Amino acid sequence: MNKRLPAYYFMFTTIIIGYFLAVQLKSVEDPYQGIVTIPKIMEMRSEIESINKEMKNLASSINESKLKLEEYEKSMGKGDGLDENMKKELETARIYADYEKVEGPGIIITMNDSVAEVGEYENEDMYLIHDADILEIVNELRAAGAEAISINDERVTATSNIRCGGPTINIDGKRHAVPFVIKAIGDPITLETVATSPEAYITLMEYYEIRFDIQKVEKMTIYPYDGGYKLNYQKKIEDGE
Amino acid sequence: MLIPIIGLLIGVLLGFILPISIPVQYSSYMSVAILAALDSVFGGIRSSIEKTFDIQIFMSGFFGNAILAAILTYIGDQLGVPIYYAAIFAFGVRLFQNFAIIRRHIFSSHKNQ
Repeated sequence: MNKRLPAYYFMFTTIIIGYFLAVQLKSVEDPYQGIVTIPKIMEMRSEIESINKEMKNLASSINESKLKLEEYEKSMGKGDGLDENMKKELETARIYADYEKVEGPGIIITMNDSVAEVGEYENEDMYLIHDADILEIVNELRAAGAEAISINDERVTATSNIRCGGPTINIDGKRHAVPFVIKAIGDPITLETVATSPEAYITLMEYYEIRFDIQKVEKMTIYPYDGGYKLNYQKKIEDGE
Repeated sequence: MLIPIIGLLIGVLLGFILPISIPVQYSSYMSVAILAALDSVFGGIRSSIEKTFDIQIFMSGFFGNAILAAILTYIGDQLGVPIYYAAIFAFGVRLFQNFAIIRRHIFSSHKNQ
């Protein structure tokens, strides 16, 4: 009897171990938040795929609305001279609102981060291109009479935002990385003069050997703003109201 | 040798039949508890082979180790530091040591025959 006794204690403890194991196995079946396992990676992948699909759907819905708009314009165009005038006006308004693909002379500024050696006590931030730099340059180009501006073919509209996105720059929420190609339509000579003048922001940045390439071109195209309409809150009010 | 395995099977069956599940945030407690119990069993097998098995030491070790490990885990959770690694490490090392000693005992008894 005394010899068998340890065995029963073993049985008791192993029952507990087995019970714990089974309970733990059961709870692992539930989605587990801790370690990244292969099933979890697969799950995330399918999630990403579904989000991509959703994005595609949204893009196609934008296209659909555009087609509808075109139809409206076409049906308008069938009328007499008054409609023709209205159509022209609409086109001008759309160009003003950056919704049209436009073409004209201007300059192309290509900029990239500095490759210069950073001194020991220097701030390496000065050798990189930031959202504020882009904003400053866009502002200078506008001051020099630029009519249409795009950065990496992302149209900069009147309501566009240019923000920091870590190592990238977000323009209207879309990520863009170096090199930045800023296209501006306007008088090429004025634009270049302003951009390269001694007080210009670009001259300041060239001090830190940020790589600039400024090109005057006679003809280039700038793509339209491809996002949705942004007028959600404002409404026109009559004078005297 | 058969009785511990039977016990394990009964335990697994019980665990699957009973509708109790442990929330995910307590999984570290479970890992430590399982290790503590396994450590006790291996220690018990070793001592019974060496004929130094003591029920009081065995049972107090089984519950005491598990409780101490759970307390360590709890403190670690409160501090945000995984202190229960210490318990896992200690139990893991002892488990393998005990297993090594058990192996030597088994092989030496075979050779003697």
